[in-house]
Amino acid sequence: MIYAPVLFVFIPIIIAIAVFLIKSPKAHYLVFLSQAALIVLFVLYALFLSANPDQNIIVFGGWDARFAISFYNDWLSLVFIGLTIFMWTVILLYTFKINYAQKKLFFFLMFLEGVFLGLIQTNDLFNMFVFLELTTVLVTILIVYRKGGEAFKAGLQYMLLNTVAAMFFLIGIILLYYVYGTINIRVIASEIALYSDYNIVKFAYVLMITGLCVKAALFPLFTWLPRAHGVAQASISALLSGLIVKAALYIFLRVNFDMFSNAYSMSEMFFWLGAISALVGVVIAMSQKDLKQILAYHTVSQVGIIMMGLAATGPIETLFTNPAAFGGLLHAVNHAVFKSLLFLAAGSIIRVYQTKKVYEIRGVFKTMPWTAIVLIVAMLSITGAPFFNGFISKSLIKYGFKQDALKMIVFTIVNLGTMISFVKFSQILFGPKQKLIVDRQYKQHFAMSLLAIASLVIGLAYYPIFKSLFALTWGGALYLDYLIYIEYIGYMALAVLIFHFVVKRDYLPFRLLRGSPISFLTANSIFVFSMIVIGLFVFL
Amino acid sequence: MNPILSFVVILIGIYGLAVSTNIIKSVFCVTIIEAGLILLFLNLGQYEGGLIPIMEALGIEIVDPIPQALMITTIVIGSTITSLALMISIKIFHITGSIEWKDFLKRK
Amino acid sequence: MPLTKYILIILLGLVLAMFIVSFADYQEIYNNISRLFYETNGFLDTGSRNIVTAIYLDYRLFDSLFEAGILLVAVSGINWISQHGAEQENAHFMLDKFKTPELFITFSRLVYPIMLLFGIYIVLNGHNSPGGGFQGGAVIASALLILFYIDLKKSTNMRVIMTIEKWLFVSLVSISAISLLTRGVLFTNFIPLDADADLKSIYLIALNIIIGAKVALGLTAVFIAFLKEGR
Repeated sequence: MIYAPVLFVFIPIIIAIAVFLIKSPKAHYLVFLSQAALIVLFVLYALFLSANPDQNIIVFGGWDARFAISFYNDWLSLVFIGLTIFMWTVILLYTFKINYAQKKLFFFLMFLEGVFLGLIQTNDLFNMFVFLELTTVLVTILIVYRKGGEAFKAGLQYMLLNTVAAMFFLIGIILLYYVYGTINIRVIASEIALYSDYNIVKFAYVLMITGLCVKAALFPLFTWLPRAHGVAQASISALLSGLIVKAALYIFLRVNFDMFSNAYSMSEMFFWLGAISALVGVVIAMSQKDLKQILAYHTVSQVGIIMMGLAATGPIETLFTNPAAFGGLLHAVNHAVFKSLLFLAAGSIIRVYQTKKVYEIRGVFKTMPWTAIVLIVAMLSITGAPFFNGFISKSLIKYGFKQDALKMIVFTIVNLGTMISFVKFSQILFGPKQKLIVDRQYKQHFAMSLLAIASLVIGLAYYPIFKSLFALTWGGALYLDYLIYIEYIGYMALAVLIFHFVVKRDYLPFRLLRGSPISFLTANSIFVFSMIVIGLFVFL
Repeated sequence: MNPILSFVVILIGIYGLAVSTNIIKSVFCVTIIEAGLILLFLNLGQYEGGLIPIMEALGIEIVDPIPQALMITTIVIGSTITSLALMISIKIFHITGSIEWKDFLKRK
Repeated sequence: MPLTKYILIILLGLVLAMFIVSFADYQEIYNNISRLFYETNGFLDTGSRNIVTAIYLDYRLFDSLFEAGILLVAVSGINWISQHGAEQENAHFMLDKFKTPELFITFSRLVYPIMLLFGIYIVLNGHNSPGGGFQGGAVIASALLILFYIDLKKSTNMRVIMTIEKWLFVSLVSISAISLLTRGVLFTNFIPLDADADLKSIYLIALNIIIGAKVALGLTAVFIAFLKEGR
């Protein structure tokens, strides 16, 4: 049982190779075998780890921990591993087909799962870089899987920007190695205070944080995300928005709060970085006309909200005691659930309606009733309606800064913007029944319902879940407070009003925002500029 | 002096990425960044009087072998990324007939 | 616009200044501990005189597994991407008009066996002299590519190459995992720690051969995909 982390990494990879090598398409059922094995292993390993919490490090080769690769698991990585296995099961259910064309898709998907699980558990900085580059290569191949012109352009831009970011991350690792003599995260975390005043360590920190900001799509380095997420097929977009972006946030938590122990007190800067990217994301999302682009810009904004919550973390243990930090982590999990549900539903709708524009799709509620119901669940979650999971995480983040009026105003504006753009999105539901061929895909409905049920479960039963897993005791009587319902309905009415009078008229600023993308060349200049800005904050 | 020159190579690569209008040039700028990175890592580990890390006899003083081992992996990863990017560029040329970045910005 | 270029150069100059400022005190905090560890224990632990090979085949074997994995994924990805869709308008294939010069063919006949032998020598002696699986594999791949330069329309079966590569990857993972049974720890040499250096080099030679074959096949497959351009 102590070697379960290694099995997490290698079971999907071996199954991926097996699916590719076996000729008959019936071998695709093997992927469900691997998912079942992973779920069983995960539950057993979680029980084992809570019983003996000091056996969470595996050193490969038995050498001295300072000079070899090791795997390290704690509650943070267990949360992410559980989320990964759940999301992959849902995506596999959604895209399961028995024909030869799916064979290669399953090969890349399952390989990506193994690599991703390795990225979350590894304790060695250079191993993390190798896994990061593997993730970049695999995600690029998955983005360009449906070989259209747009897909290739978006995939190339994604790959070049992310590779440059990972290389700057590697320069930071190099400088840290020469100062500390090791690249083991646990060892550096215990020795960080010896040299953290030297300029070279500060410079390594600047490089690593800039590389991570590109990969996590924070302002101003988020330009690759809407293109890449908009052109991929629906299940791949769901995976990208749901998990791959969160990998960068996970590395950010490990590097900034675990390894550097927040030595440079940049929490305020990270909060405002998250706030600005949240605002910019919603404003641009309000002006989009394409169904998937709205969702993609929303990912930018929700990642900003997550960063607003996570900026208040101290050492890693405070992730589970500080309400704002836990709210950020919970919002990461919730966002994976409801954003992928939105993308999967949008994929079904686009496949039936053959168009992507919001203003051309009407009557989803009568044409595809089951998809419409899960879409309503997802929209209620993302706007923070009571009884759904979005509400819990947003309340937790709000609780974290209820003393500071400016932060509350910013957060409220972001929430309002989210509601406005989803009022715009929900226009596709109304209207008469369309005469289109609707093929009933039961496994897709099943996959989407799983996500909707998860959303409801977290929303309704959050108190007993958190109490038993993490021993937290907040907000036991949250739903008994009448104010929250009045607050939500009030904001929703305001959002509908603003939508009808402002956004629908499509005034000039919105047209400008829609039609002016930032080119690849400008993105690189912005990368250099933000490196200098972060450097100024650290050095002074 | 050597590490500073390697960092200058990396910065030249970034400058090239920010001003190249051709896709193939951008891909090669990423290769330049990777080459500069390898030079930087190896140069930081060199010092006078260190022998190459082959233990012909026990007890000799060798240079740090870790940079060299890590850079083998980095070279393989870099060549992989370059080949994948070039294949995607060829496909872009076959489909759209142009390899300039500015032809991609027309949004519908 | 030249103004943005000048601003960009000034910004890059600032980054360089940051680097020079932080590099000033490099000499006094260079940490020796890792170098001393490999200097004293490298040969005795692993049985290879080449410490770099000892690191990537024994201390950090896990990295090398995924380095082989990224080659596998890239070959499959490039093969998939290069297959034709229905919408290729400007596809004119340059290589239909290309003919190898006679001088090149004659020289290649002399050079090809020497390159192949040199590559195999580097792979097999990776633990005693500079070299190893990755380096030798690249040389063998260059040798095999000469065959393609001589005859551009040489027929190959991509499916066979990719199948062999995947079996090589599986065998690489399996040999690394044998050490769980003999030594009780994962991903290291399966011969016990106190054995003779010559005995331990069996493992090193075996892994080097597998990695060399894998790298050679992978790089050759990438090149073939570029040559064929989907036909």
